[in-house]
Amino acid sequence: MGRRDVGAGAQLLLAASGDERFPPEGILDGNTETFWMTTGMFPQEFVISFPDLVQINNVKIHCFNVCGLSIETSLAKDPVDFELLCEKELLRSEDQLQVQEFEQREASARHLRFVIHSGFDHFVSVHKVSVEGEAAND
Amino acid sequence: MVKLRAKCIVAGDPAVGKSALAQVFRSESAHFPKNYTLTTGVEVFVKSVSIPDTNDSVELFLLDSSGKEIFYDMVAKQWENSGALCLVYDITNEVSFNSCSKWLERARAQAPGGQLPAVLVGNKTDLAARRTVEYKEAEEWAASQGLEYFETSAKEMENYETPFHSLARAFHRMYEERVELVKSLV
Repeated sequence: MGRRDVGAGAQLLLAASGDERFPPEGILDGNTETFWMTTGMFPQEFVISFPDLVQINNVKIHCFNVCGLSIETSLAKDPVDFELLCEKELLRSEDQLQVQEFEQREASARHLRFVIHSGFDHFVSVHKVSVEGEAAND
Repeated sequence: MVKLRAKCIVAGDPAVGKSALAQVFRSESAHFPKNYTLTTGVEVFVKSVSIPDTNDSVELFLLDSSGKEIFYDMVAKQWENSGALCLVYDITNEVSFNSCSKWLERARAQAPGGQLPAVLVGNKTDLAARRTVEYKEAEEWAASQGLEYFETSAKEMENYETPFHSLARAFHRMYEERVELVKSLV
């Protein structure tokens, strides 16, 4: 099985804050023009759930003003028992979106939790998350 | 409709009335603490403020912070990523006014991007006969720092809401500006 986008069927399960004008579903619609905006204070988080277990090769995020970011995985059926997958301080970007890729080897997950620990501003936005990999049962 | 959240630091020298102001505001004037208790570290109160002409609100997490230097290391930890600052001094105590620049600098150093909506509050107007800091002097200093200036009496329950409402509006304004900025990028 080659690499492919495993985003199909993924759902946005939870987001820590929200403005109804910018719902978290904007993160997964593949479009950077729709975004989720946080509404103050840190940490902030959102959880993406897959219908089945997936092997993840690559996670890519388009966002703005995010500083400390960590990604956690859960193998459980329900989004519990998260374990740290990777964390990074992103570089500041003044007039365009930040784009950050996380290459992974042999990471499996049913749920991915993104925790934003800090920002370069009071409010940050997340525009797109794409996950490449293989469905574990392929 | 959006509900914003901001950590709002209440800072200033000891015994200027930070806790009294925070408690009178939180309880909507039901409670003025008659006896002085030294705040050690930070006490947190949550209070929601509606933004006029919108359906939006800002939930202020008031961090009533000890003014004693001995607690400052502990206090500073709690100030990370703050969204607003209510800087308080006592109009009968010039030293407390002179300390304001120190508190302002400390709070700004902890704000994301260094940008922090802030107000200056001269408290204890009930003791106006003993005033040592003139209104104009305080207002000018505040303006030079980009702060709005208010005078209050927590004891007489006077004007205690205005500084917090102003902060909530400023935080909300900042949010709307950021939304426009992000929209312009995509």
